[in-house]
This record gives sequence, C-alpha cells and structure tokens, in this order.
Amino acid sequence: MISKSLALKVLNAALATGGDYAEIYLEQTDTDAITLENGKVDTCGGRLSYGAGIRILKKFASVYGYTSDLSPKSLLGLAEKLAGAFEGERVITVTSFKKQRVKTVNKYASHYSEVPTEKRIALLKECFEATHAVDPRLVRITDTFLSNQKKIEIFNAEGEIGKWFQTGEERARLVMMAVAAGADGSIQSAFKGPARSGDFSYFTDVLDYKKAAREVGEKAIKLLSAKECPSGIYPVVITNGWGGVLFHEACGHPLEASATAKGLSIFSNCIGKQIASPIVSAYDDGTIANEWGSNDMDTEGIPTKKNQLIKNGICVGYMVDRLNGRRLGMEPNGVSRRQSYKYEPTSRMSNTYIAAGKDDPEQIIKDTKLGIYVADFGGGSVEPMTGDFNFSASEAYVIRDGKIAEMLKGCTLIGNGRDVLMNIDRVGNDLALGNGMCGAASGSIPVDVGQPTIRLSKITVGGRGGKLE
Amino acid sequence: MNFDKFFALAKEAGISESQIQISKSSDLSVRLFRKEIDNYSVNDSQSIIACGIYKGRFGSARTEKLGKDTFDYLVKEIIRSASFVEAEGAKELFKGSEKYHKKNTYNKELPLIPVSEKIALLHRMEEKALAMDPRVYEVSECEYSETESESQFYNSHGLKLKQKNNYFVVVLGVGVKDGEGAKSGFQVKVDSDLKSFDADAFVKKAVDEAIAKIGGVQCASGVYPTVLHRDVFGSLLGFFLGAVSSDEVQRQSSFLIGQLGKKIASSKLTIEEKPLTKNVFFSYFDDEGVATQNKYVVKNGVLQTYFYNLETARKEGRESTGNGRWAGSKIGIGFSNVFVKPGKSTFGELIAPIKEGVYITDVAGLGTGINPRSGDFSCQAQGFMIRDGKLAEPLNLITLSGNLLKMLKDLKGFDNEAELKYTSLSCADAFIKGMSIGGK
Repeated sequence: MISKSLALKVLNAALATGGDYAEIYLEQTDTDAITLENGKVDTCGGRLSYGAGIRILKKFASVYGYTSDLSPKSLLGLAEKLAGAFEGERVITVTSFKKQRVKTVNKYASHYSEVPTEKRIALLKECFEATHAVDPRLVRITDTFLSNQKKIEIFNAEGEIGKWFQTGEERARLVMMAVAAGADGSIQSAFKGPARSGDFSYFTDVLDYKKAAREVGEKAIKLLSAKECPSGIYPVVITNGWGGVLFHEACGHPLEASATAKGLSIFSNCIGKQIASPIVSAYDDGTIANEWGSNDMDTEGIPTKKNQLIKNGICVGYMVDRLNGRRLGMEPNGVSRRQSYKYEPTSRMSNTYIAAGKDDPEQIIKDTKLGIYVADFGGGSVEPMTGDFNFSASEAYVIRDGKIAEMLKGCTLIGNGRDVLMNIDRVGNDLALGNGMCGAASGSIPVDVGQPTIRLSKITVGGRGGKLE
Repeated sequence: MNFDKFFALAKEAGISESQIQISKSSDLSVRLFRKEIDNYSVNDSQSIIACGIYKGRFGSARTEKLGKDTFDYLVKEIIRSASFVEAEGAKELFKGSEKYHKKNTYNKELPLIPVSEKIALLHRMEEKALAMDPRVYEVSECEYSETESESQFYNSHGLKLKQKNNYFVVVLGVGVKDGEGAKSGFQVKVDSDLKSFDADAFVKKAVDEAIAKIGGVQCASGVYPTVLHRDVFGSLLGFFLGAVSSDEVQRQSSFLIGQLGKKIASSKLTIEEKPLTKNVFFSYFDDEGVATQNKYVVKNGVLQTYFYNLETARKEGRESTGNGRWAGSKIGIGFSNVFVKPGKSTFGELIAPIKEGVYITDVAGLGTGINPRSGDFSCQAQGFMIRDGKLAEPLNLITLSGNLLKMLKDLKGFDNEAELKYTSLSCADAFIKGMSIGGK
C-alpha cells in the first residue's frame, strides 16, 4: 500500500529518539453487509476501511498512532510526532527490508469480491423461508450476511534489516434472528451466527443453513413457554461447542499477557501452578485451517501457533504478545491481534478450547439428579483483576433425575475464575467449537470458543424463578 | 473537498437526490503505569458516509479512503445498494428544518493546555490513589485522552450543516487487597472543561468504591426491596430507551408496542431527551439533517413519544423527532442527553425505610444478559445489604434479575444525587419495591 522507500523513511523517523522496535501496520478492508427483514432486502451496503497504524516500543513503553491518510507527509508527520514522546538517541537505523514468507493457514477457493450480490441474497432468502415455515407466531425474522476482505501489510524493525509482510484475511458470517410473539403479549427472540475464515462455498455446500434457520425459529417459539430460571447454587452441565464461552471468559482473558504481565490478573505468576481440576487441559490454537478465529500470522507478523495453556490442571502457558512478552520475559507466541489499524495490538485469544475428556456426554446428564443443563449462551464478560465472571444462557433446561426436563429463560451463571475450573468434575468426549466475537482493549475480533460437554459440581445461577425443586 | 462535484456525478449516474457527510477527528491519549508513561497515542481519522435515492430506493456507502476515486466509489456503491433493496425506505431526502439551534460547544482552552500539564494530572492521580489507603496495591488504569471532532453535512437540496466539538476523558482504575482476593474501583469522567475537573474527588470515589467491596459475601436468594445506584439504573434505562425507538416498535420488536400515551411506569418517572443542552453531548442536527429538539419521553409515568426518524415518522403520518442516526447502512434511531428527573431526598433518606433490602452498585454482563425485546434481564451484580435503613455488609457474586417495565412500575422514587455520565444519561439512585436477587 506504500513503497518500501517510504516505509524505510517512516520507520527511521519513528526510531529517531531511541525506540528499540518500530512497526507500520497498513490495512484495507472491504466490508459488505446485506440484511433481509422478513424475507425482503432491507439494507445492502459496503464500507471501505483504510489506514495505517504506527507503533514504537522502547523497553516496556509503547506509543501508537493511526491515520487514514497514507501520503508521505501524513505518515512521516505521524512518525515524528510519536517519536517525540520519547527522549533519547537513536539506537537503530533501518537500511533495508527482507520480505517474509507467510505460511498459509486459511485456504480460499474464491474471494468474496467474486460472489455476486444476488447469490448472497438467494442464500438469505432460503434461510428466511426455513425459519418462516416454523410457526406463524414468528413476527420478525432477520437474516444478515456479512463478509469482509482484508489486505494487510506490515513493515517492522528491531535492527538494521527490517521485515516486510503481506497477507490477507477473508471472513464471513451468517446471522439469523427470529422474534416470536405470544398470545399474552410476551416477546422472545433467538439467534444463531455460524461464521468462517473461508470462502462462500462453506455456507452453501458445507453448512446445513436450513437446519440452523429452522432451529432459530423453533428456539424463539419454545422460549415463549419457558419458565423463569431459578436462583441458587446448583450442579450445571454445559453443552459442547459454544459452551466454551465459560472457559473463554473465566480463564481465557485472565491468561492473556495483557492481564498477566502487569500483575493485574488472577493468573499472574501462575505458570507451573495448579489452576484447574486435573481432568482439564486447554489450548489456544490459531492454526486450525479456516476456523473463524484462525489467521496465517498475527498482527505483529509472528506465525500463529497451537499454544497449550493448561495441562492436566497445571497452568503451562500464557498468550503472549511482543510488548507484554518483554515484561514477562517470555517469547511472543503469535497471538497479537487487533480489530483494525485503529487499535494498538495486544495479546488476544483465537480458537480457545478445553480438550476432550473421556466421559460419554449422555452419561454426564444421567448422573445428575437435580441441576441445570445449559444448551446455548448469549455471551458473557469477566474482570481479569478480580476473576469475577458472568455469562448468560439463552437456552437452558432443568435436569431432573438424570433427564432433561422443562425449558428455562432468563438464566445467568456467575462465579470466579479461581474456583470454576477447579469445580469441573466431568469432561465429555465430544469436543466441538463455536463462533463468536470477543471485545477487549484491541477491539472486537472473531474468535472460536470450544469444549466438550462438561459438568460443574456447583455454580451460582441467577434468575427470577425462586428455588429449584 | 468539492461536494458539488459529488452531487453532479451522482445526478449524472441517475441518483435523483444525494447526501454526503464527512467526519474528521483527531485525538491524543496518555496512559500511566507505575509512574511511567506506558502508552502514548495520537490519531487522525476521516470518513465519508454518502447516501441517495436511486430509482425510488435508498442506497448508501462509506469510505475512509479519500482520494481521486472516492466519489466514483461512493456513487457506484449507492447504486449497487439501492438496486438490491426491496424495503420501502426513505423516498426523498430532507430539505431542511425551519430553525436550527446551533450553539458553540467547542472549548478553545482545552487544546491550549500543554500536554505536560495533562501528564502531571495523571501522576497526581496515581500518587494520590496509592497514598490514600494502604490496601490500594495497584493503579491498574490511569489514562487521559482528548478528542476533537468535526462533522459536516451536505445534501443536494442545498442543506449545509456543520458542528465542531471537543472533550476529554479521564479514566482511573484501582485495585485493592485485604488478604485473599482483589477488588477494583473504576471512574470515568467526560467533559470539555479540564480546569473545573476535581481530580481529588475523582480519585477518592474510585478508591472508596474499591475498599467498600472488600469482604463481599453472597446473600440468600430471594426478592428484596432494591436500591439501584444511578449507574446501574442508567445502564438499564439505556435499554428501555432502545425500546422507545419507533423502528423497533414498527418491527414488532419492542415491549412498548401500543403504549403511546399510556401509563407504563410509576408516576415518579419523568424522562426528557435534551440534545440541545450545551455540553459535550450537544448536537443540533441529526444524521438526516433534521433539527434536534428537547422533549419529554415519559412524563409522570406516561409514555409521551417514540423516537422517530424521517422514514418511521412518514409511516405513521408524523414529523421526525430528530432522532435519525446511522446504523450500519441505513438511518436508524439514536438519542443523547437524556435526563431523568431526580427526587428530593438524600441517599440516606431513600434507604431509611428499608428494613432488609439490597443496594446494587455494579452490574456486569447486561449486554448479553438482557433481552431488549421483552425487557427481561438477568446479570451479575455486587453491592451491599441494607439492614434497618442503613448500609450493611458488602455483597459479591450475586445476580440481579427482572423485567424493565415491571421495574419501572415498581419504582418508588429517586434520591437527589443525579449525575450526567459518559453515557450521556443523567439519573439519580432509584428505589425499586422488589427485585429478584440470586445468591446462596
């Protein structure tokens, strides 16, 4: 997006006051979104995001700035302004760049720019029809297809020879939502959003989108007659796949170097210590081909990796970016991510999951006399400093005498990351992943969460339904 | 940029009416960690949103890439967008309001205060927080940022509107420890007058908040008389205001369908939207060029109006209320500067009649814990027990559940401690007859 000679000038301007690392991150993203409202195209529009972020590190300090003007005057002006934040003599002069080979994790047979708008609309119309056929009480059905194509170029330098990376990302998500209205005036809604770092053929040829669309409608209808969730402390069985949002919130965020490096996380200084029940092992893996959270490299140019975080209950690793790696004295491991050039990168999750265990998931439910089964989630959040987390169940049931019984609504699970992993007493053999968006300091990014069916021996459940009996 | 060229290009391509908005912003931020500046950032950005009517349909496009091809890209995208849209959307663009209440909210002094003074402020705050109580073990966030933004609006009917604004944001987060388990306190301030910012009081608030949480326990699950801290009530009210959107009502997705002119809440509830209040949230025109207006949303418990843009107003044969706001590639509904009428009593007087109840100071997870269509919610909470009219032991890891409309019907009153927050919403602490609390 800019010439090598300009990049050289910009990096040298950035390093003029003693910075020991500098980087130019350039990005152009074409986004397209089409939304159908009750089967008719409601909106269809594109957005072009374009700009560069410049970062300078000096020991543990960082300066960052961005601009959407990529002219030499603008970029050099920004680099000089940023360098002005440090006082000192130059220690690095960059003389040339070496082009870096980027390994391919995500493969694409076609690009989104080649998929005609008509084809996307046709897919959405089929989804609408499938949901619409479920029940006349569905008063609103929206179907959205979101896609983006990102071109990324990075120039960075820690010494005389700089590195030059070029890569791309393409992602899409099918978002289906249904609103059901009951005869008593009650309103409920349900949502599904399968997503992929892959081409359009995944949505048309691999994904059973009609089934997913039907399920959205069925869930919204079922919620109309769901009972209010009880409150208290109960055993809870959590579904595989998207159920992994529990691990993501309660333990994933506190294991990011952005939290652990400054001693601000409940899991700071925990390497080698037991933080989970011995039946728990967990990974963050950005290298699963075409998964929603996968990338060829991170946004500092480091190849993505499969990083083990927990091994048989023992904390064995963090997700480490370049800057926080300096504080921790650890090597960065390919996890530095950002929403766009408007965000300074930091350590983030990619595809994070609890590894498969040995239990038969059906047996886990059979062995639970009275408790709650969570089949789907809205999402959740955590405060890494205290470890307190929450997540809301969008589909939950009572387990009575080892059988799944009545459906519940308005169900929240809360706890502390320190206890929750210790309280996992069953791990199923049915590992699956689910797609979501994760928001934190460096913006909103696509991630997978995952786990097999697990049981928590106890956790606090909140709702309006009184005691569970 | 010469926007007449855009209008001519659009017209030539068959776009009968068109609109273009350009936003520019620049900001600076400094973050301190353990006495050192650990992050410094300066940014400049610009973006254009354009829309138009093509063959009777509405189309739009956005870009951050400004160059010689920008107008061509926008025209091409507006046509593609409009060609596929099937919904009956806006058929024409706005010609202009009779009167606009323009005010100057740009504070010339703010950018003139040297950055060194702003950094010195951060040092003072960090030192003060650490010195305030031995249980403060870390200042986790200590950040100053300043933003200057300018927006310009033009359409092919000759409407031209401009607004310039600036503000600062100060963020402070502290961690406290007393034995096992950390607690945190957090404060945010948004304003444009840095000279009147009381840093000492700000720091004290964050530290006091964190210290008070030490030793939190779970209470027994049940329904309690509940006092919601103004921040908590404000967060919940934000979702209520989302349901006031005429767009949501027309799409059968709001719990306020058919409630216009009806009593929906306790008569203690009066809400006004006052976008023309002279502060950092001021705006005198919306994203369709319609003049904004101050208005009652709820008066003594009766719903006075929904928020309308041009399209939703047309569907009901009404006038827009000046609440048109871009939402993706169409104009949706937005609001700013919402004021809830406070009560007369102090906080002490508000909780005095409560024999056994809870005071909720923080909630988390509301974003996914609420169903904005039904108003049902359940989220993580912390706060204090209220016993015999006084605050008692701190509560942690409890849940707060309810329904927005039921909560507003059960509203018994507010104290007089109203505060305008960075969410552009001002309200006081609220006493609710009974809410479901989950704990032991």
